[in-house]
Amino acid sequence: MLKESLVSEFQKIVGKENVLTTPEALKAYSYDGTTSWIHEPDCVVFPKTTQEISEIMKIANAEKIPVTPRGGGTNVSGGSVPWLGGVVLCTTKMNTILKIDKENLTATVEPGVVLQDLTLKLAKEGLFFPPDPQSFLGATLGGIIAENAGGPACVKYGVTKQYILGLEVVFPDGRIANFGGRTLKNVVGYDLLHIFVSSEGTLGVITKAELKLNPIPPAKKTIMAVYAEIAMAGESVFRVLENGVIPGKIELLDNWVINRIEEMMPMGLPKDADAVLLFECDGIPEAVEKETEKIVEITKKYGATDVRVAKDVDEANKYWMARKAGFAAVFGKAPTVMAEDVTVPRGKIPEFIKRCRDLSKKYDVEMCILGHAGDGNLHPAILSDIKNKDLYERALKAMDGIIEGAVEFGGVLSGEHGIGLEKQKFFRRTMDPVAVDLMMKIKALLDPNNIMNPGKIWD
Amino acid sequence: MKDLKELKKIEKFADQCMKCGFCSFFCPVYQEEKVETAVARGKNYLIKLALKGEQEFTEEMADIIGKCLLCKRCAANCPSKTQIDRVVVGARAQMVKDKGLGFIKDFAFRKVMSNRKAFGRYVKLAKAFQWMLPKTEGNIRHLPDFLKALGQGRHIPNLAKTFLRDMVKPVYKPVNGEKPKMRVGFFMGCATDFVYPELGLKLIDFLTKRGIEVVVPESQNCCGAAIYFSGDFETGRMLAEENIKAFEGVDYVVTACGTCSSTLKDYQKYLPDNEDQQKRYEAFEKKIKDSTEFVIDVMKIPPEDFKLRKEFEGKTATWHDPCHLIRYQNIKEQPRAILKALKGLKYVEMPNADMCCGMGGSFSVYHYDLTKKIADKKMDGIKATGADIVVTACPGCMINLIDNALRNKMTQKVYHFLELVE
Repeated sequence: MLKESLVSEFQKIVGKENVLTTPEALKAYSYDGTTSWIHEPDCVVFPKTTQEISEIMKIANAEKIPVTPRGGGTNVSGGSVPWLGGVVLCTTKMNTILKIDKENLTATVEPGVVLQDLTLKLAKEGLFFPPDPQSFLGATLGGIIAENAGGPACVKYGVTKQYILGLEVVFPDGRIANFGGRTLKNVVGYDLLHIFVSSEGTLGVITKAELKLNPIPPAKKTIMAVYAEIAMAGESVFRVLENGVIPGKIELLDNWVINRIEEMMPMGLPKDADAVLLFECDGIPEAVEKETEKIVEITKKYGATDVRVAKDVDEANKYWMARKAGFAAVFGKAPTVMAEDVTVPRGKIPEFIKRCRDLSKKYDVEMCILGHAGDGNLHPAILSDIKNKDLYERALKAMDGIIEGAVEFGGVLSGEHGIGLEKQKFFRRTMDPVAVDLMMKIKALLDPNNIMNPGKIWD
Repeated sequence: MKDLKELKKIEKFADQCMKCGFCSFFCPVYQEEKVETAVARGKNYLIKLALKGEQEFTEEMADIIGKCLLCKRCAANCPSKTQIDRVVVGARAQMVKDKGLGFIKDFAFRKVMSNRKAFGRYVKLAKAFQWMLPKTEGNIRHLPDFLKALGQGRHIPNLAKTFLRDMVKPVYKPVNGEKPKMRVGFFMGCATDFVYPELGLKLIDFLTKRGIEVVVPESQNCCGAAIYFSGDFETGRMLAEENIKAFEGVDYVVTACGTCSSTLKDYQKYLPDNEDQQKRYEAFEKKIKDSTEFVIDVMKIPPEDFKLRKEFEGKTATWHDPCHLIRYQNIKEQPRAILKALKGLKYVEMPNADMCCGMGGSFSVYHYDLTKKIADKKMDGIKATGADIVVTACPGCMINLIDNALRNKMTQKVYHFLELVE
């Protein structure tokens, strides 16, 4: 428990109404979007300025109190769960879009800006910020940067780290530092900026960010390719790319997911298909037409039994609704769902999918596969129940198998969700020991008292 | 073990939530407060803990569970289809069961009292009005809420000089003297009865002109919205039984209030305690029609047959979707079809037409500051259309829209769609 005197110190900094300590509020800040990671903080603080964060950090550092930065709390790694209690530093009230610079294609934002709010504002200017995690309706930019979030658009546009030009960060000792800048190119000194991208709140608090933007492509087209064999869908992914087409998105849904979506919202998806791929091409209209033709041709050549090009925006929206619903379909179907976030080199997708299916049989667990096939980031999900000991243990073994498989194929254990609490047990197993050593040293240098989101990434 | 009967009823809905947090984007309350206890995910989590016996119904809990507009925007957009409105109402019902009706209301009330200098004035006013009310005081419990709102600096329309109940006849035959096409019960509701009686007369006139017999049973009671949404299911059931009895033998029950039509339809969702009740409430639901859907879906009047009243000619209108129409009853296109087809009227869609105006029944009484902030966003949408008039079909929304338009020094006038047509 926190000393009462500290609570009143925090109240002096941010105002009484911006410090929560009631048991109910603490419970409401004990979770994130994961199923099984829960721990209550001792208090929740809502700063409004960088200066306030700096003051809070100074106190926490002197008293060696854990601080867990948090935005919308939509992450699915346990990253914003205050695992060792202490302070949840919630940035949801720092939600101003400070500047949209059309000339330089940049935006300056506070960490608590919700991605969808930014997207809507940018759209009015004909601009967009490409990283598009599926949690865009609640996810805040601070968290998106700290977790280096991804999303369907990564196949063409890359992940968050490619869109961060500059950051303002508060260190655990209260120092305020600026890294990077507002230019597209910047090769001055070590690239410290990117240490904070995917740092998962363990090194400092992101208090301001300079984002790189793109103009909205003038045309879009959606294509659905249907497969009788999921591995063939996997093959189509890299066949399309090696033939010179880089679509904006390539998403994969397997038979199980297709059928759950159809149960939830019937829209005429092919229920017998082993899998479907959803493509979205974007760019100038002529290029989009050509790319669409090419995708139809290649997917047919490599085993698609049916290929549909959405005739209008409504049909396209329907398919993308289905993709979004896939997420709910999976999570709503079992008491405990273990959703993986592994990423494999694209050429290995078919083999990796086969491995997943073998593991599902071997351990007799229900498993479905959906994901951002275009960049090799797949989310095999195992349906389980933590209360059913036998089933849960088999599920854990299958999950180990998935991760080992991914690493064996040259992949990584997280593509876009981060390590947090969820992937800790695999971290050291799959990382180069020299890299781990370096990371630990950086952590010790920046956060000698280990107060920044302790208990995460490495145990 | 405590009896958690009401919570058990909603357990399956609460279990749907997977904590993704998408609701935060759609919740008008969260958008202002930015704290987790304000949003569906947080409320649902705490209610699940209550189900497990790990969270008591403290005053803080009452405040958290009370601070929901029940606008249902989160539920409509929930990827896993969590029916948080039912979860919240179920939790309120459990609280009322455990602690008595006063608990939620009294707590919020005390907070309002302690925060407002104007309190003395508003109670006095409420009291001054209350003794004048008809003797059926117990039956119009949501009116005192409305009266409490006085004295908060709100622009509240005057109570009508003569209440509708004192003007209406029990039966209205079709004006053309022919055999009626159908027999329709008119459900008054509080706001129409006490504030907008002319709306009721208008609806009766509209229907009888088109060959429909309208009956206005004297024994009809309050719809029960403010009562059972506060968790008082016992009184809610009493009202349900009275209303069902009052409207026996009619083909349909029509009302000019979106909240009333929704509330009457939803008896079957919230109130049944046994199968017999379930069946009867479901049968009653089928009879209920909001005025907006009745004229289009039942009477099948083509939208282009509606005639605009002279005073509105040349005006530009925009439509505000009452939560109780668009999300509770899925009524979205019917009123728009009429407005778009009205000759002489220009229709403009407002940017946030489906967003709650912030009224939320008694919510606005207890959390008026929040109501104002939420309504300001609505007002921005209205301003953006450049419309002269805002049209809707819920007197509750009308009261709040008028208040906030005046507060924002806007020129737009607010009307019920029935007021626009001949």
